[in-house]
Amino acid sequence: MNIIACYKLVPEDQDITVNPDGSLDTSRAEFKINTFDLNAIEAAVDIKAMQGDATITALSVGGKALEAVKARKDVLSRGPDSLALVIDEQFEQALPHHTARAIAAAAQKTGFDLIICGDGSGDLYAQQVGLLAGELLEVATINGVSKIVAATESSITVERALDDEVEVLEITLPAVIAVSADINNPKIPSMKAILGAAKKPVNAMTVADIEMTQVPALAETIAVNAPKQKQRQQIVIEGDDDEQIAAFVAHLRNAIN
Amino acid sequence: MTKLTNAWVFSDSEARLADIIAGAKALADQVNVFVIGAEDKITKAQILGADKVLYLGDKDSARIVEDYAATMASAIEGNGLVLMANSRRGKALASRLGIKLNAAVFNDASEISIEDGAVRAKHMVYGGLALGEERLLSDIKVVTLTAGVFEPAQAGEAQGEAVNVAFVEPKGQIKCIERRVKEGESVDLSVAKKVIGIGNGISSQENLGIAGKLAELMGAELGCTRPIAETEKWMEKERYIGVTGVMLKPETYLALGVSGQIQHVVGVNTAQTILAVNKDKNAPIFQYADYGLVGDINKVLPALVKALEA
Repeated sequence: MNIIACYKLVPEDQDITVNPDGSLDTSRAEFKINTFDLNAIEAAVDIKAMQGDATITALSVGGKALEAVKARKDVLSRGPDSLALVIDEQFEQALPHHTARAIAAAAQKTGFDLIICGDGSGDLYAQQVGLLAGELLEVATINGVSKIVAATESSITVERALDDEVEVLEITLPAVIAVSADINNPKIPSMKAILGAAKKPVNAMTVADIEMTQVPALAETIAVNAPKQKQRQQIVIEGDDDEQIAAFVAHLRNAIN
Repeated sequence: MTKLTNAWVFSDSEARLADIIAGAKALADQVNVFVIGAEDKITKAQILGADKVLYLGDKDSARIVEDYAATMASAIEGNGLVLMANSRRGKALASRLGIKLNAAVFNDASEISIEDGAVRAKHMVYGGLALGEERLLSDIKVVTLTAGVFEPAQAGEAQGEAVNVAFVEPKGQIKCIERRVKEGESVDLSVAKKVIGIGNGISSQENLGIAGKLAELMGAELGCTRPIAETEKWMEKERYIGVTGVMLKPETYLALGVSGQIQHVVGVNTAQTILAVNKDKNAPIFQYADYGLVGDINKVLPALVKALEA
């Protein structure tokens, strides 16, 4: 089974600051693997263990952040056998319909039986790139996969947790699945895996290599701004003696009555 | 704001149908509602204001809702807006329709408006640090809507016509071999008026029990931070508050042992009153709170219960 695990490098939340005009400053933020994609990579590793005869390619489409050797080693230390990258300036801040077309084109180039994506990305959280790619590839596509039950050469059986019920689905391959954040707990790579990562092959492709079709102009970003915070009283009582607790209780009673 | 001519509505959750129809009516002249399932659902859509019901028939149990994407796409044409619930099913359908209709897809819209025939919509980005705004330029635009953006439509006289739409087989093969009702009671925190949020500072499951008692006394629901649901697994996932969990609109929010990371706080930010108890006086939660108490949760929590019991 040929498995592709998709991932995105996103700026570390903690290092993003808000400028006085409300815009975001990500210039000091380090790019790391999107947390939700660690679940996708781990799910690929689990399916490989279940199925035996499988190879995992980690795939990412993006801008210059993908050139960093450290980030490449990081993803490869988590279980994929090789890495495929499509790097181009046009993918900096690309919208989902754009990225999805590149992923679909790259997957078609490398071949696949199963593409695994995360629930969304920590930056835009559009929750659609994998689904769009699957639909473009005209294969079975589903989101919210919360458990891998079984995997064979021709199909996988999964659970999908929804608001009202859990669906058990038999999905004929080739397919694209997006996994939920609670599907697994990604393992921390071992020292051996970290050292081994440097020896794994990296296939860096260009837009021309993947023969991506024309991207339609479906949407554009207008603004990304921190919302205005509601004014709060910020009355903080320090200490937990009876008197202070009583003062806090008075505020609580006011609020709930 | 000039309205669009057509909107197409679908909600996999009956509870959301009224607010999505209300949104569609605010944004478009003609509201078409897709209905899957028993025939009495047609009338339900009509009394909420559907101008036209597009009836996709009763669902074969081996099919999933997403299998109807090709069928829905066959009934959508021209210009307009497809508006759906921001559930997993809604989002999966949205992307399928996006490709089939060459349309822009936008999930979790918390604001939506029309400008020169284009749809403008906003949603949370960067874990809640910011709102991202996009202009959707395609002829058909597909948007999944957050609960609470529009006041639910009130039931009135049934009106409009209903037409059958023939099923179109989907390309990929997904077969539903079993359905299980979710274990545990289902909660919908997004409609709760009072919510207590539990963070790591709660420190023990025993305290969680006491917090439950406090919630009962307050008439509140219990919610939590992501680590409590996903790492500790002390509470169900449906109770985790934040951008990637549930977004709340409570009147009162009481945070117990919640540090106050932005990803969590954005989920309660619209509350009229926010109260917080934390042992660390520098915890960010106090910046977002109206009333805070710096103290030991082991001492404060039983005292709050005792005070409200009195």
